[in-house]
Amino acid sequence: MNNLDVHPRTISSLKKARITDLTSLLSRSAPDIERATHLSLSDVKAVQREAALAVTRRPLTNALDMYNNVCPQEMRRHTLSLGCKILDGTLQGGFQSQGITEIAGESASGKTQLCMQLCLTVQLPTSQGGLEGGAAYICTEDVFPNKRLVQMIQHFGRTTASKINFGDNIFIEHTSDMDSLWYCLKTRVPALLNRFNIKLIVIDSVAALFRYEYSLNQTFERSKKLSLFGAYLHNLSCKHNIPVVCINQVTENMNGYTTNGAIKKTLPALGLTWSNLVTTRIVLSRTPHTLTVGHSDNSGDCIEKYETPVRAMEIIFDSHLPNNVCHYVIDQEGVKGIS
Amino acid sequence: MQRELSSFPIQPSLMSKLTKAGFTTVEDLTDLKPLQLSQELSISNEEALDLLNLVRGEHPSKLKLKQTTSFTAFDMLQNEESQQCIVTFSEQLDNMLGGGLPVCKITEFCGAPGAGKTQISIQLSVDVQIPTCFGGLQGEAVYIDTEGSFVAARAADIAKATVEHCSNIAQAENNEEQLKSMEAFTWESVLAGIHYYRCNDYLQLLATVHLLPEFLTQHPKVKLIVVDSIAFHFRHDFDDFSLRTRILNGMAQSFIKLATQLNLAVMLTNQMTTRVNADGGSHLTPALGESWGHASTIRVILYWRDRQRYARLYKSPSKQDMTVPFQVTLGGIRDVKTSEDQSHNMQGASTSQHKPQSNYEQNTNEHNTKNAQYQTASSSEPYHTGGTERAYGSGQDRKRSRIDS
Repeated sequence: MNNLDVHPRTISSLKKARITDLTSLLSRSAPDIERATHLSLSDVKAVQREAALAVTRRPLTNALDMYNNVCPQEMRRHTLSLGCKILDGTLQGGFQSQGITEIAGESASGKTQLCMQLCLTVQLPTSQGGLEGGAAYICTEDVFPNKRLVQMIQHFGRTTASKINFGDNIFIEHTSDMDSLWYCLKTRVPALLNRFNIKLIVIDSVAALFRYEYSLNQTFERSKKLSLFGAYLHNLSCKHNIPVVCINQVTENMNGYTTNGAIKKTLPALGLTWSNLVTTRIVLSRTPHTLTVGHSDNSGDCIEKYETPVRAMEIIFDSHLPNNVCHYVIDQEGVKGIS
Repeated sequence: MQRELSSFPIQPSLMSKLTKAGFTTVEDLTDLKPLQLSQELSISNEEALDLLNLVRGEHPSKLKLKQTTSFTAFDMLQNEESQQCIVTFSEQLDNMLGGGLPVCKITEFCGAPGAGKTQISIQLSVDVQIPTCFGGLQGEAVYIDTEGSFVAARAADIAKATVEHCSNIAQAENNEEQLKSMEAFTWESVLAGIHYYRCNDYLQLLATVHLLPEFLTQHPKVKLIVVDSIAFHFRHDFDDFSLRTRILNGMAQSFIKLATQLNLAVMLTNQMTTRVNADGGSHLTPALGESWGHASTIRVILYWRDRQRYARLYKSPSKQDMTVPFQVTLGGIRDVKTSEDQSHNMQGASTSQHKPQSNYEQNTNEHNTKNAQYQTASSSEPYHTGGTERAYGSGQDRKRSRIDS
């Protein structure tokens, strides 16, 4: 508060009245402060104005500048490609760099595969849909499938003809309880963001710990922690202008219907508290259909063919995307959309 | 007014005279005339007048008394009738609200994620800019984003559809005034008329609201303030609920002051929360608690049911409770037309994959200009976003939903 551009006398009388930070200065009404400090109303209004200016350092912009991407750097929206034209088309370019994107789905629907692919595409130059940076991958559920990543890197390096050493820019953290996840997010991730050029945070998965550590009668504590957690991720995303991707499990749908009327057996877990925090929700699922794909050796020649299930990616809600469904398969190289 | 005189910048000599004569607080001086004071303190008349001006000039109750003028109910009625509304582009929604989003009032839209809150916010920020000759307000909008959900590309989609719609009306009517105003009314100008603030925590939101009066005097064209959403930052980080209530009340006061003094509309969006009933069941209710319910003049709840979006008027001083369906298309908020359209939409939602988007059909000949704004038939492509765990039930058939685990 000492940095405010007001008369020192005003500051000292504010301090005498135990108003020592901007929060208490702004959250109390002017007449209230006037009574507590014996300052004149105009003095109080002036100091509140200065405080408000100090808090909102963010410049104001308008929608046209945002559309043309000439607004201040931290408000520019980037999209992160999924590494496949069909999937990118469904998402109008890919994942947004502002806000939390949730990928929910039953087990074996391809959530982790999709996120591993994002860890690769994020390293590509912006001309190829990447963000030219590394990825931080926080595992809470399972051991990170290293072997699979190496396999994907081999194919990815070949298809994109890129010289980047993809494995060097993916930082993997394992956390097995709430406290270590919180510690990881509060200290290790900011450190990574400062030291390395991290442009993507993946949490695989949010549901595991929150569902495991709280019992049914602790819903209040759980939603409180969940809100804090979500708000913190929002802040990280906004401050560094990077996408935050959270994997979520699904839960049995007790009511038998969803709010947009579709009959679904499962719903993303963690309830309304979490839904309120999510910017974009995507649900992955398996369909009964299969598709034959080729299995190739290291040189790219096809050596055998096998059947793989066709999976579906559905956009449940987002502020700018229509509710679309897109189908994809997972093969040796990664996640691919099919038309 | 108990303020001590010593806190004013008064000359020490004069101050000592005041103290000697027994004047210590502002209250002691308020009823005095300059002449009396000059005799009392044996100072010149001018000095006494200056002193009283200094003290009274900063006396808030006196200032307010001078400004306040009273109106009769008849004046208010006439005033209200002459006031315009911001159309939503859904005729049913407008009828429900009494012509659209009213100016001078706070309107709150509540809904679960994906119910269409942000879509309505963007639609209204565009609609407030429709030129006066089309029956619009020709204003600008301030958009305060707390969730980071505003996407300029989406605003551009809606702006393009709106501009195209107005230009079609102007051509169909062949109205020279309208055609001329279309030159300045382009989608670029519409986007430039949306002033955007991003707030990362409640302190920034508070500070932004503090600075709004100043911003609005610099931008007198602003006719709409949107906060999307008011709830986001107030739902975490608050252990002290009385502080939260105080801050929220303070903000509501600032909004209502701005709305009435500057004749503009305030639109807030709010999230939903689960409330557990006494019998162990639960239902959805707007967030931020009971006291926040008094903040808005009009409250609308948005929800999904049977693959259809609905808006329900929950609180209004002038209209009865009612529920209307609406849809979100590529071009923005629209009416749900016929049952045929609906079945088409349902198909579109379940199988929509790169379906060509038809242009809005025009059918303006038999209507006058103001009504013609609604004559865009709905686009064939539904813009379905949404779908969360529970539907918001209404009245008797309120669904008892479970707290999911």
